Amino acid sequence: MNNGIYGIEIAWLDAVIRLHIIVGLMTVVVMGLIYVERKVLARFQQRLGPTRTGPAGLLQSVADGLKLVGKEDLRPRNADPWTFELAPYMVFIPVFLGFVIVPFAFGMQVRILELGLIYFVATSSLGIIGWVMAGWGSDNRYAMIGGMRAAAQGISYELPLVLSLISVAMVSESYNLNEIVLSQSTYPNLLWQPLVLVIFIIAGLAELNRTPFDIPVGESEVVGGPFVEYSGIRWSFFFLAEYAALFIMGLIFAAVFMGGWAWPLGEELGRGWQILLVTVKTSLFIFLIFWIRASVPRLRIDQLMAFSWKILLPLTFAQVLINGAVLVYDAPLWILTITGLVGIAVLVRLIERAVRPSPAISNEVVTAGNEGAS
Amino acid sequence: MVIESAPDFETQDLLINVGPQHPSTHGVFRMILEVDGEIVKDLIPHIGYLHRGAEKLCENNDFRQGVGYMDRTEYLASHNAELSYVMAVEALAELEVPERAQWIRMILCELNRLSSHFMFLGAFGVDVGVFGTPFIYAWREREALIDLFEEISGDRMMYAYFRAGGLAWEVPGNFEERVREVLVSTRQGMKDFDNLLTRNEIFLARTKNVGIISAEDAIELGMSGPTLRASGVSLDIRKSEPYMYYDQIDFEVPIGTNGDVFDRYIVRLKEMEQSVSIIEQCLERLNDGPIMPERMPRMLRLPEGQEVYIRTEAPRGEYGIYLVSKGGNKPWRLKVRSACLSNLQALKKMSVGQYVADAIIILGSIDIVLSEVDR
Amino acid sequence: MTSDENVNNTNEEEVSEIAVVDSLDDTIWPLINRVLSSVDVTPERGSIDLITQIPRSDIIRALQILKDHEEVQFNYLRCLTAVDNESEGVDVVYHLYSIPKNINLTVKVNLPVDDKTIGTATEVWEAANWLERETAEMFGITFNNHPDPRTLLMPEDMTDTFPLLKSHPFAEIEILQGELLGYDRENQGDDE
Repeated sequence: MNNGIYGIEIAWLDAVIRLHIIVGLMTVVVMGLIYVERKVLARFQQRLGPTRTGPAGLLQSVADGLKLVGKEDLRPRNADPWTFELAPYMVFIPVFLGFVIVPFAFGMQVRILELGLIYFVATSSLGIIGWVMAGWGSDNRYAMIGGMRAAAQGISYELPLVLSLISVAMVSESYNLNEIVLSQSTYPNLLWQPLVLVIFIIAGLAELNRTPFDIPVGESEVVGGPFVEYSGIRWSFFFLAEYAALFIMGLIFAAVFMGGWAWPLGEELGRGWQILLVTVKTSLFIFLIFWIRASVPRLRIDQLMAFSWKILLPLTFAQVLINGAVLVYDAPLWILTITGLVGIAVLVRLIERAVRPSPAISNEVVTAGNEGAS
Repeated sequence: MVIESAPDFETQDLLINVGPQHPSTHGVFRMILEVDGEIVKDLIPHIGYLHRGAEKLCENNDFRQGVGYMDRTEYLASHNAELSYVMAVEALAELEVPERAQWIRMILCELNRLSSHFMFLGAFGVDVGVFGTPFIYAWREREALIDLFEEISGDRMMYAYFRAGGLAWEVPGNFEERVREVLVSTRQGMKDFDNLLTRNEIFLARTKNVGIISAEDAIELGMSGPTLRASGVSLDIRKSEPYMYYDQIDFEVPIGTNGDVFDRYIVRLKEMEQSVSIIEQCLERLNDGPIMPERMPRMLRLPEGQEVYIRTEAPRGEYGIYLVSKGGNKPWRLKVRSACLSNLQALKKMSVGQYVADAIIILGSIDIVLSEVDR
Repeated sequence: MTSDENVNNTNEEEVSEIAVVDSLDDTIWPLINRVLSSVDVTPERGSIDLITQIPRSDIIRALQILKDHEEVQFNYLRCLTAVDNESEGVDVVYHLYSIPKNINLTVKVNLPVDDKTIGTATEVWEAANWLERETAEMFGITFNNHPDPRTLLMPEDMTDTFPLLKSHPFAEIEILQGELLGYDRENQGDDE
């Protein structure tokens, strides 16, 4: 852990090399994710998905990537040149900065930060600036609406996300991701924090702009939102960032809630097994998100905001308070499990109430010819 | 709040152009939305991008050729469009259509209603924001129906199968088995759809109490079909003025209570169940016999100075044909009363004051076919 | 042959017209006659629905009566269109339906060729809005006081020519489709 990679002892050079390895790897992982998403969605929809490029369509992402690189890099004449051209990087870079703290296995990360969780949240929310820049710089009304929606949504869902991570950090008694993972070697945090797990998944979906919270890019409304004017390599940066963010969210999910590489087989495991374990847990999260994408409609912007501020935020606050009480008075942790489950029940009930509008005035039934008959 | 009260600070409403190349405008429909934030303040529809002058073309072609143009006015329910036309010609020529031809027409029209409603369900699912799944579900079922139409008429969309007097040719020998086979898969498809969308919380949140139009307004605006019935008006031409043998068939007219987007969806879904039941009853009564009248003139010439307005219940509402004859083998005037045109008029009333995202699903819930609007 | 037929036809029509006036009692004519007693109405038996001719000056008032009168309640405008009768002017045709009573009525108004103006039915039914816009641009009819007198299907600047008039010239493609096909139109029935 303290040894540099390839025996390099200069701290910053070591970090740069590690980050480069991750960026290189991530690009491959993202291409894999795109392929998997297309295959999984196709299966949900009784299609085959890509089959033509390579064995079982495996090279589809490579083909898409080549196509995107080969496309002309267009910029609308009225676009703001600097904002427009820098926006993809503003989305792309923060996402990859997040990889600095992610523990892939014991000792396999760029850096161990004492405030790792806070760092992750901070970097992931920087991406919103890029979205707004893309929306504003494109000089396109769809893009602008999309950018504004992204800002509103990103800021709103940041809060439940942060609070849910904080309540986990309370139980694990650390912000350091490595220590959070180690603290879960016998019982994973999802056992103590079921409500927070659910809220994390929901807020994560919103952070990633995935269905049912894909309002900023809603195909049928704002036709791709901030990306509508982008083409070629710039557009593919957005795409890359989107899937990288999905992957990092999955890794955080695995580390924070599922015990990362430590649970359930203990921390004495070989590195290969640890990576496999983390991969499986991450895949679970990613599959869940694909599954949701294939089956639920999109929310409306007001419903989305109301859901965040009126339902998720109070519940996470309540959870933080209960956590504090339980931990300060050294009460047994199973109280947290019970309150968490009760919280989930409350959440479901609240969703039902919020979602189902009150029955409106019903019209009187008019029937053709009924008066003539009577 | 401070900004709002500042006297010399004015915010500008945003004009958004939606269409004619927008993914959710269901064809070449264009609307200009005036939005204040996310709320639609005004909606200006623009139509006419698909105007081909079908009426004028019919006036310059003889009665037999007109069938083909009717297919193209309503390409998702061509059988229903043809039906109105041939019935208008038959009414003026006083042709007696054989019983078997009538039953087959009824079966085909109801099957076409099913395929058209499947198209609606699929497109509507995408409008509401499910990524493709309802669309593919719907297209799987529609594909089976279209295959059946292809076996009968030789074409997947533009059937041109009805003739004034009867049918173009006899249906294939295994017609009845094939229809029953298709109905089985259709039933399953409807059930799948019900499971996928109808009780989905987000779907309900998006569609309930959105785009409400009252029964009075709906009648005033001349709306028809499921869009009108969703507002609680039980007006179905198959019941109120039965044509063909609909008076011998036992079926219900599903109506909505609220007149919102969800009602328009559920009314169509229920209507499909009724269509399946109608087809099954028709199949029981289908017997052998001729498909064209015995004394059919070689060349159709209609009497002079006659006119008729035929209306039938097409999937999207009242599809009317106003036919004026002044003798000869061509219509003097042929007017297509388009259900979509009248339904589309109500779009503004339904959308103003709603969210932008709602305007899209309201448009989807009207289920327009632009070729029928523009003709 | 044709001249003989014409003579026969006209004779028959004359005879039948007298018969029609008697036999209109089985239609809704007595009812309409009572409702529209203040308007000059000429009835005619249509193939399915009753057709009534109403003079232009009374039309909007008559439509309003038809809509509001307790006994008929024609609250649904099915269709509004026009028919070009060349030298005899243009007929504006309203197809009305009464949802409560389940009855239909066709109302016709004849407009002379040189003065194609008429009141707007949007005052009576909102449904007439787009239908009148379409009719106006297709036939060159002016609907007075129409709330939105823009073109509907035609381009915004196409206000000088009216496609559905019989005098409207064909484009080349229309002639190819309609008239100059490579066979004799009149005898095509025998070729089958």
